[in-house]
Amino acid sequence: MMKRFLTLLAALAALSLPIAAQAAPLRIEITEGVIEPLPFAAPDFVAEGGTARQLADDLAQVVADDLAGTGLFRQIPDSAFISQVSSFSSPVQFADWKAINAQALITGAVDLQAGGRLVVKFRLYDVFAGQELGQGLQFAGTRDGWRRMAHKVADAVYSRITGEGGYFDSRVVYVSETGPKNDRKKRLAIMDYDGANVQYLTDSSSIVLAPRFSPTGDRILYTSYESGFPRIYLLDVASVRRRVLEDQQGTMSFAPRFAPDGQTVVYSVTRGGNTDIFRMNVGTGQTRRLTSAPSIETAPSFSPDGSKIVFESDRSGTQQLYIMDANGGEPRRISFGKGRYGTPVWSPRGDFIAFTKQSKGRFHIGVMRTDGSEERLLTASFLDEGPTWSPNGRVIMFTRETQGAGGQASLYSVDITGRNLKRVKTEGGASDPSWSPLQN
Amino acid sequence: MNTGQYISGVAHIGLIGWALIGGAFKPAPEPFEVTEVAMISSEEFEAMIAPTEAPSLETDMSALIPPDSETAEPEPPQAEIRDSAPVIAEPDEAAPPPEPEEAPDVAALLPPDPPAEVEDAAPVLVPPVEAPVTAAPDISDRPQTRPTTRVAPEPVAPPEPDVKIDDIAQEDAVDDGAADIQREQQEQTAEEEAATEIVTEAEASSSAPSTSVRPRTRPTRVARPEPEPETDTGTKDAVADALAQALAGDTAETTTPARPSGPPLTSGEKDALRVAVQKCWNTGALSTEALRTTVVVTVQMNQDGTPETGTIRMVDSRGGSSGSANQAFQAARRAIIRCGARGFDLPADKYEQWREIEMTFNPEKMRIK
Repeated sequence: MMKRFLTLLAALAALSLPIAAQAAPLRIEITEGVIEPLPFAAPDFVAEGGTARQLADDLAQVVADDLAGTGLFRQIPDSAFISQVSSFSSPVQFADWKAINAQALITGAVDLQAGGRLVVKFRLYDVFAGQELGQGLQFAGTRDGWRRMAHKVADAVYSRITGEGGYFDSRVVYVSETGPKNDRKKRLAIMDYDGANVQYLTDSSSIVLAPRFSPTGDRILYTSYESGFPRIYLLDVASVRRRVLEDQQGTMSFAPRFAPDGQTVVYSVTRGGNTDIFRMNVGTGQTRRLTSAPSIETAPSFSPDGSKIVFESDRSGTQQLYIMDANGGEPRRISFGKGRYGTPVWSPRGDFIAFTKQSKGRFHIGVMRTDGSEERLLTASFLDEGPTWSPNGRVIMFTRETQGAGGQASLYSVDITGRNLKRVKTEGGASDPSWSPLQN
Repeated sequence: MNTGQYISGVAHIGLIGWALIGGAFKPAPEPFEVTEVAMISSEEFEAMIAPTEAPSLETDMSALIPPDSETAEPEPPQAEIRDSAPVIAEPDEAAPPPEPEEAPDVAALLPPDPPAEVEDAAPVLVPPVEAPVTAAPDISDRPQTRPTTRVAPEPVAPPEPDVKIDDIAQEDAVDDGAADIQREQQEQTAEEEAATEIVTEAEASSSAPSTSVRPRTRPTRVARPEPEPETDTGTKDAVADALAQALAGDTAETTTPARPSGPPLTSGEKDALRVAVQKCWNTGALSTEALRTTVVVTVQMNQDGTPETGTIRMVDSRGGSSGSANQAFQAARRAIIRCGARGFDLPADKYEQWREIEMTFNPEKMRIK
């Protein structure tokens, strides 16, 4: 009986062995990879109707410059192309693009219609998968808006490949600086994120400082010495009209920044030698004091959810970073490294806080987690300061000033990983950048 | 006397009152006027910008503006867009100003650019048909990448200037006619220069080397012999008989000579496959969330070691959203297809063992590089 049972059991086990062997795949785990720019091809866009050849070429170049400028992508030069794209609707020869290791392919077409209406459409392909990545999109507008349409195409491509939002269709407000150091003229200026389309918002009759975009990008807070003392102004970008926001006699107000709700502003007020942080409702003008220590508290910045404020204070004897509730309360220190920490800015994603650090005679732009952990310094120079985040929280722009009497301030940007440090193209000197959200 | 004092007092009071009320002590008016420069009226502003020619916005451009923002942001009636960066307008070079001192700067101020219209409708496209794969010609002008932009598990020294960059390093092989064995001509290739970690400017300034001197040691690829299944040949009981009978019967029915199974892959063979795939697993363009997402991917393999690209599937993911999992899967798929294009170096006699491969792409070590 036992022998028969064992025979039956063995037979069943033996029958199941080949099935199991065939069903179980070979399993391996990949934990190491490479980090390098993803090669892409962006052949000149097709000029449909043949009336916008130059525009089509320029548009494709702006798209390529946007992507390559991130450091995450690498443009394959046109001279390496095996096949060309002569029609937007023609099938893609994936083998030709695989052969030159183009991992992404961007095709597009430009149609300049009667009345100056410009239509731009594009498609993105995953070459090695041999399929389209997402659906094609088209944008329409006036001919003069072609750069914005190129930025929108690049944003869509960036988003589809990386999985995070883009930042190309955005603007930067900054302080334009001209003249020598001892007689420097400062004006508020606004430009596209890549330095194009510069427009000036104020004249150079008085010193202006630290412009800050509202969460919707339609208003700008800044500090001006127009009255002889620093005062906070609120400027409407569309109309270029402005008004004094905070004007208490005998005080100095500065370092303003919007809350995520767009109605609340936090700022610093110096009265009688003591500097504290206040908040104000822009609509009602109602103010509330958030700190009351005898030390200097300034540079407040809201968390994206509006519940916390990070700021700098020297209450411990050295300048460090602290976090408190949006309505005030006991602050919690988050920076403990050697050196002085200042100008903290909360990432729009909420995961990091960017800051300026002065240590051993050098300035750094760095990032840390919101609890102060994982501090990492991204730059080092004679003077780096004033970080601002890209709309997607991936890139930081800041001011770098060179040493000496002829030193000049410039804007630089760096990826949050510390890669791709580069100068932002501006006309003349520039400082105090503030990055807008993505435009509508 | 009192009368005289009264008269004198009244006269003095009257004189002082006249001096105070009549403005005798008021300073002479200044020869200039003080103008409020902080604010300009809307009429003045519109008058200043009116002469500039501006393209009108299309009415349907408002489609880009979300409903809730329309009320907060009035649409500007006119807009001027510059194609290129404008020249800085100095105060005395500007257009005719209504006020001599302030107008030049103000005249240069322009309303913002109008948003471009976005239409979500996808353009009509003929479904792409991949052309038959043809032999790729040699590309003489391959793009050269910046040497410091690549981070790999192991450092790679800069290649010679004339050497073609490729995923696989190969020696130059040229038929010189002298050798007995004819070898196929092979252009010399080398891997692109790489460091093992990202070095920020702050770290580099502390005299840190750009290429790490601490490369990770690769696991020893010693192919350990697989342990032979223990068989007790001395005893022949009913169980062994039945097992042998069942195995023999099954083998006769299912095994075909074209698909050799062989023993399981050795750890060295598995390691070689892992190294081959990770060379093409590029996480550089992944979002931070995708870098927290582990994906499990299966692929069916051809007998020549190439993957069947249509069979690559994501069977599991953990640590991120579905969107980030999709991005991570795309990077994994590209790695399998790119580095498998020439066929992975897998033992042909063990095909049944690797006919289906399940690869887990875990980016944990790739987050902080």
